[in-house]
Amino acid sequence: MESPVIRVFLTRLTAGFLCLLLSLGFVVLLLDAGRHRAQTIPTQMEEPYTARSVAETGSINVVTAILMDYRAFDTLGEATVIFASVAVAAAILGKPGSPSNRTMGLLSRRQLSALLPLFFIFPLFVIFHGHLSPGGGFQGGVSLAVLVILIHVAFGDRFGEEVIPHRILALSEYGAAIGLVGIGFVGIFQGSAYLANVAAGFPRGTAGTLASGGVIPLLNLLVGMKVAAGLSSIYVHLAGHEAENVPEKRR
Amino acid sequence: MALDIAFYLILAAILVSAFAAIHVRGHLNAVIILSVFSVLTTVKFTFLQAVDVAMAEAVIGAGLMTALFVTAISKTRKRTWRAR
Repeated sequence: MESPVIRVFLTRLTAGFLCLLLSLGFVVLLLDAGRHRAQTIPTQMEEPYTARSVAETGSINVVTAILMDYRAFDTLGEATVIFASVAVAAAILGKPGSPSNRTMGLLSRRQLSALLPLFFIFPLFVIFHGHLSPGGGFQGGVSLAVLVILIHVAFGDRFGEEVIPHRILALSEYGAAIGLVGIGFVGIFQGSAYLANVAAGFPRGTAGTLASGGVIPLLNLLVGMKVAAGLSSIYVHLAGHEAENVPEKRR
Repeated sequence: MALDIAFYLILAAILVSAFAAIHVRGHLNAVIILSVFSVLTTVKFTFLQAVDVAMAEAVIGAGLMTALFVTAISKTRKRTWRAR
């Protein structure tokens, strides 16, 4: 018959031991990666992708070629995950109401109003050059969402709602989702697989130029639109949610 | 070998910041330290020449997650906004 104190102690001991074991394994893994980073790590999948991806997809960024061509179906799954999270956030938090009018100081607002157009260059570059340079639709889309959040935080939720209405965010997310699924069917109609790229007859173009990679730039644009609209609408739902069970205090 | 030493220093800093994010007092402090963790992880990914992942980690971990967490904290417990 063991007392609760001993049981709690044993549970904590076991949990601590497991955590220690896991973190030790992780440290070993990281040190191993650090030791190998100068050499090339031979793997089975590396050689075919790096050798053939430019010729097969027309995209010189191998990561984007894998994400948007070879594993485009998985990318569709990721987009579905974001869609589901937006739907759950909207269902739990409810319709965004009572936008607060708190803004940043005058100096920050004036500075941001001059700098914001420049900030938009980076995500658009990352999205449109996804098949040429590191990045792609996902990274650029999240950057766009962060910029929308910046507008909301700096200029107040009411101004953000005026400039980028929530309806437009929702519409662009639905549109991008339908576009992603619809482009996939082109591959089937052309007698190939779902979300096929060059095999479905999309022009490959000259590798290294902006208009290359077949359907990859279009998929990047749609994924970027979808991610940006989804994540920023999560923020809009969160910011418009009234705090519950909190004693109102003046700050 | 200076680059190697810098890499191991960054790995150690990642461990320290991860422990600090768990054990620090105050939700807001934990969120800020978590974004520091993300920035260090970004540097690590850049060292390992995974620039795509580094970009995603920087944008999501340091940008979006911090904004969402801070908003959520400000919506739930107003008292944690004050310095503790």
